[in-house]
Amino acid sequence: MRWQVPERFIRRCRGDARGGATVGAQQIYIIPTRYGLGFALLLLLIWIGSVNYANNLGFLLTFLLAGLGLVAMLHTWRNLLGLTLRPGRSDPLFKGQQARFEIQVGNPRDGERPGIRLQLAAHEAVAGDLAPRSEQRFTLSARAERRGRFSMPRCILSTRYPLGLLHAWCYLELDGEALVYPAPGPRTPATGQPSYQPSQQGDKGVGADDFVGLRSYRPGDSPRQIAWKVQAREQGLQTKQFGGDRADQLWINWGDYPGLETEARLSALCRAVLDAAERQQVFGLRLPELELKPARGDSQRHAALAALALYGEPRP
Amino acid sequence: MTPNELGRRPLLALSLITLLLVAPHFARLDLRISLAFIAIILLRLTTLYLPRLHPGRWLLLGITLAGAALIFTLYPLLMGLPAKVALLALMLGLKLMECRRRRDLYVVVFLGYFTLSTHFLFDQGMLLVAYVCVLVIGLSGLLIEASRATSRPGWPLHSLRFAAGLTAQALPIMLVLFFLFPRIEGPLWNLGVDNSIGKTGLSDSITLGSISQLIRSRAVAFRVDFDQTIPPPRLRYWRGPVLWHSDGRRWSRGRLMEPGPVTYRSDADPVGYQVTLEPSPNDWLYALDLPETLPVGATLSADYQISAKNVRNRRYRYVASSRLAYHTGALSERQRRLGLQLPDTITPRMRALVAGWRAGTGGDAQLVSRALQFFRSEPFYYTLNPPLLGTNPVDQFLFDSRRGFCEHYATSFTLLMRLAGIPARVVTGYQGGQRNPLGNYLIVRQSDAHAWSEVWLAESGWTRIDPTAAVAPERIERSFEFDLDENADPGVPVIFASADSDLLRGMMQQFRLGLDAANASWHRWILGYSRQQQQSLLQLLGFGSLSEFKLALAMVLATAALLPLLLLLLRRRDRIRPDPVQGDYVKFCHRLARRGLVRQPHEGPRDFARRVIRQRPDLQRQVSAIVNLYIALRYGPSDDPQQRRRLHQLVRGFRA
Repeated sequence: MRWQVPERFIRRCRGDARGGATVGAQQIYIIPTRYGLGFALLLLLIWIGSVNYANNLGFLLTFLLAGLGLVAMLHTWRNLLGLTLRPGRSDPLFKGQQARFEIQVGNPRDGERPGIRLQLAAHEAVAGDLAPRSEQRFTLSARAERRGRFSMPRCILSTRYPLGLLHAWCYLELDGEALVYPAPGPRTPATGQPSYQPSQQGDKGVGADDFVGLRSYRPGDSPRQIAWKVQAREQGLQTKQFGGDRADQLWINWGDYPGLETEARLSALCRAVLDAAERQQVFGLRLPELELKPARGDSQRHAALAALALYGEPRP
Repeated sequence: MTPNELGRRPLLALSLITLLLVAPHFARLDLRISLAFIAIILLRLTTLYLPRLHPGRWLLLGITLAGAALIFTLYPLLMGLPAKVALLALMLGLKLMECRRRRDLYVVVFLGYFTLSTHFLFDQGMLLVAYVCVLVIGLSGLLIEASRATSRPGWPLHSLRFAAGLTAQALPIMLVLFFLFPRIEGPLWNLGVDNSIGKTGLSDSITLGSISQLIRSRAVAFRVDFDQTIPPPRLRYWRGPVLWHSDGRRWSRGRLMEPGPVTYRSDADPVGYQVTLEPSPNDWLYALDLPETLPVGATLSADYQISAKNVRNRRYRYVASSRLAYHTGALSERQRRLGLQLPDTITPRMRALVAGWRAGTGGDAQLVSRALQFFRSEPFYYTLNPPLLGTNPVDQFLFDSRRGFCEHYATSFTLLMRLAGIPARVVTGYQGGQRNPLGNYLIVRQSDAHAWSEVWLAESGWTRIDPTAAVAPERIERSFEFDLDENADPGVPVIFASADSDLLRGMMQQFRLGLDAANASWHRWILGYSRQQQQSLLQLLGFGSLSEFKLALAMVLATAALLPLLLLLLRRRDRIRPDPVQGDYVKFCHRLARRGLVRQPHEGPRDFARRVIRQRPDLQRQVSAIVNLYIALRYGPSDDPQQRRRLHQLVRGFRA
């Protein structure tokens, strides 16, 4: 049963300056579940039976169960009260994929808090039991419908523990954010030749084509370039060096794809960036208001995709 | 398995609890129903381990129909409570069979709660209440376990413990609701046939032997609290039905006396008391001879029987008063006629006996003493196992067997009086009762059931004559030994409880009395609690009499006050206690913060100390001493109490 509180009356649990949030007493909503309504009906039945048979023990049972219901209300509410929430980092993703938001949920209390559920608007809920004084990471996914910055949608933290008769929830607005790259488009032939420029320097062993020799391994070297055969001969970790980077400087230009709409063009550019990164090429990116110097590697790939993702968005 | 699907362990627990839920009903249900129910549970348990044996939908439907058919053959038209209980048990078992998902679990648990309430229709003992409490905890534990995201390995003891905690926390709310919830006097609809539950008690007629059957029961008939002192045993005659009509074997009330203004003269002071009547199938109340003020809503007939509505099969508490010495005045023509009617079983030797008495005496009063003399001097014996009597029991008893019980004496005496032309009637009720010193009240048991006679004499009106007292005066002064021997040979005289019983018996007696005192409070406060009690409780608390609405308001307020109290208790229980070392460090940081040296969240103690010293070189000695000690205590292997104290002192002495 999901109840929509009118937007303007919603009390939200927001993150503080450091991004963490604590569930406060006034932010928790609570209503009976359909089992709770069934339970109320049951109590009414037992009560009527007790009146009819003038059975005081029946009354006693009715009131014990009613007391259980009330106490459960308190416990359901307390099960959320004081939970701490911190948004974790979320990996960038392409438009159309599921964004994964991490939330670190902490239980500062000495008692456990089972049956905690987190849910992003209309998506599948994630549930977990929090041990006393512990933290647990919940990963929520939501489909990224558009490129750019994807802030974590409003999230519902809820519980039905202990008896399942009551549903307590609170609205979380945390500062989590995921970067959504444009969806890679089909390989559109770029008009005009890809502009390769010979670079001034090169052949320093960071190219991709010709093997030029070995050097000793440095942290950060790609595992693909480690000379495993040498390692197998127990001669230590060596990194293979390649030349040929001098000639392969690719410029990916906004202007190469005329006649496409902005989003389609961004998708095409995204595909080109991915292809270039796949080939371990040195590439630069030219957008109307931004120029990315040629480079290679994962950081260049990310920088280029981020530039595409944020194209047209105001800078933070 | 989706999260909504139930695992094996909750189903196992649910099946076992279901069995326990219905178990107390087995004694009340037809054996076949009980066996069918156990079979269903066993099938469920089997299918938990061998899922392919699980009956399909059609087979389940077949089982359902078979069960329903069984119930309808055993209990046509579903008459009576056992039929309804049988139906409930069947529903419970079948729902358990198809229980797969969380939703089904809730249905079974709710049905279970309901089943628990049905036990109280049959039994209201404290033991049953304890049993029901345990099952409430069990059922709630199931709900708790089902509300978790993942179940823990092993048996859900933790959930059970939590359920017990919840139940304990619900108890104060239960009590407030119980005592303050506005009471509606039932029944809401006619209980009709459900009244037929057999309960022991006096009936409105006696045949020879009916009271001696009743007297074997140790069940409590009622308990009495007296306003002042308890009257002596010889005056404790609790008046019940008055029997006018006899066919020679059976005595009955005949046409009931009309209720009407009943007067009698008395110089004695009234005796006030409250009676807590155990459930009985009768609609009359008991009062000491003769009742004066009546319970609310009760009526008194011309022969001093109290009858009341809505007292059947429930524990009923009422206030009454009586005067123990009285003169009833003149006799109405109707009563004279009824008091002289004779059955056609009078034999010549009975006539001869009475004629002999009449010839030798003057007035009616003398004739009565002559008759009592007869019972005293002839070899009559008081026995619980009188020999069987033939077609004319009175004649046979008077002249041949001469072994009998109070009803033998009362009925034959009454007949003899009528033969002598003195209006007479048989009164049944209870005589005596045991005083419980622990609660200072009187326990009247079924074993105190008694029958005596009343004759009308011109000088004293209706006069109580107890012929049993002539034969066995101990019967009136003391109660029976508790261990009545069921298998005693017919005609063996009864042994009465003597005052000098041995020590062990005395202790047993003491224990029994203690238990009954607990039972009496239980009855008075829980089982007998009614609208009247509610009003007097409120008056006792100084609220006076509250209207329904105000009562409901008071109830809501009291309950609302309990919840924050509970919250406070819970908060106290898991308040976060920082360890002392951490506390000192926090205090230290706090003092620095007041001087503008705020520790950043990313700063560990060492980095922070370095920064503080850079900014305030004058604090170097103190700060490094504190921080080094803190690091040693918090992260080092040693946890020396002396060092901890030192840190505490350093921090206390630290001024930035």
